[in-house]
Amino acid sequence: MKPIEMIAWFNEGEYPIPLRYRIKSEDMSNVVVKVDRIIFKEEEKLAGNRMFLYRCEGIINKSQKIFELKYELSTCKWYLYKI
Amino acid sequence: MESRIIFHIDVNSAYLSWEAAYRLQHGSPIDLREIPSIVGGDQTKRHGIVLAKSIPAKKFNIITGESIHSALQKCPNLTIVPPSYSRYMEASEAMVDMLRDYSPYIQRYSIDEVFLDYSNMRKCYMEVAHEIRERIHKELGFTVNIGISHNKLLAKIASDFKKPNMVHTLFPHEIREKMWPLPVEDLFMVGSRTKKKLNSRGIYTIGDLANTDRDYIYSWLKKPGLLIWSYANGIESSPVSNLPPPVKSVGNSSTMPFDVDNKKEAHLVLLGISEMVGMRIRDLGQRARVVSVSIKTHDFFSYSHQRKLDTPTSSTNTIYGIARKLFDEMWQGEALRQFSISLSELSSDDFFQLSLTDLINEKDEILDKTIDKLRYKFGYNSVIRSSFLHSGISPIIGGVIMEEEYPMMSSKF
Repeated sequence: MKPIEMIAWFNEGEYPIPLRYRIKSEDMSNVVVKVDRIIFKEEEKLAGNRMFLYRCEGIINKSQKIFELKYELSTCKWYLYKI
Repeated sequence: MESRIIFHIDVNSAYLSWEAAYRLQHGSPIDLREIPSIVGGDQTKRHGIVLAKSIPAKKFNIITGESIHSALQKCPNLTIVPPSYSRYMEASEAMVDMLRDYSPYIQRYSIDEVFLDYSNMRKCYMEVAHEIRERIHKELGFTVNIGISHNKLLAKIASDFKKPNMVHTLFPHEIREKMWPLPVEDLFMVGSRTKKKLNSRGIYTIGDLANTDRDYIYSWLKKPGLLIWSYANGIESSPVSNLPPPVKSVGNSSTMPFDVDNKKEAHLVLLGISEMVGMRIRDLGQRARVVSVSIKTHDFFSYSHQRKLDTPTSSTNTIYGIARKLFDEMWQGEALRQFSISLSELSSDDFFQLSLTDLINEKDEILDKTIDKLRYKFGYNSVIRSSFLHSGISPIIGGVIMEEEYPMMSSKF
């Protein structure tokens, strides 16, 4: 799990909303993925470390995929957790 | 007293569990708890000892405190991960935070052990203990053992029964069956030396000790003997106290990454440690009358020297001056791997006996205060002594966590 580049929306609510992120694909080209829908969001604090976990839907390589993103509060970093 | 209900919550292989939970959270495919693994100090800096081990590592007879070198001999494909104390502190905080949902009386006994007073509550203690155990497991991702009894001693012993992720009770009527058959060294405050003494007179189990005549124990081992005799009989009545016990001494030590073989470097190391202990004692608002220095040679032989002062001090320069003198008096010229300075016989900074011959250097005091303020505000390395420049020695030495106080085990409840 590596940190990713992310554009997120911080509104007046409690947690940020991921909009689109960029990852390096296998041929080292950049792929931008738009987050179409957040299926659910939960907060976890494993070993006392707070993170928001988002299960989302988006189009990657022309097919719709489900993936999980994480936002770590202590470092303000976004991660692509599962795909 | 009989009606008190005390929980002792003890994290199973704390550092390792926290490390494992953190790594899983960050997408690691491996759970460190399921493979032979240890959390260990950095071998290149020679802090190479086992700090915590997984249960599979335990099967290879790896013990906490042994060198990483010898652990690797027992299990060559051992996974070794470095410790990160600030993260462990966070995990510990999260657990204590959760426990506050259950009782206002919580005593943090060490980073991974907490006492909780659950007396006179409406809910059944057993249900609550299981609820706490399950919530910690589910929400925080690690497991604990909970021991329950009428006092802290028995609760602590109970939490040490079968692990992991279990709740055990040890009420007075269960002592005979659950505690007395245990080897005497499992009793709180019985170390290897006491064990030897007890064994030499045929006392092998906690039950043996409990059933020995009290007066006989007193005539033989004096006051400490009475204490362990009471413990063996399950007698202990200290309250679950939110306040930390008063500090009796302040000390720091450091194992160097390289052997120190010349006076100049040794003095610098002592100065670095003096900076740390000086800052800590001033922060406590205390002064010390005794300064002691101990050193460990490269072949692990250690010795120490101490001096009592006429006037209690909290000045870095004074502490360093004495430490240097003590060091010069005892050092035989061997290569050294570890240095420590400890201050004791503490007294309040507000009033203290002055001496006619030893004048307090006011300028020194003001300077210390100013430097402390700068360091607390801008970081420990914001102001350093120029003698440390290019020396390869850290200007402030000691302590596992620089940012915060780290609760350590004490021999008192």
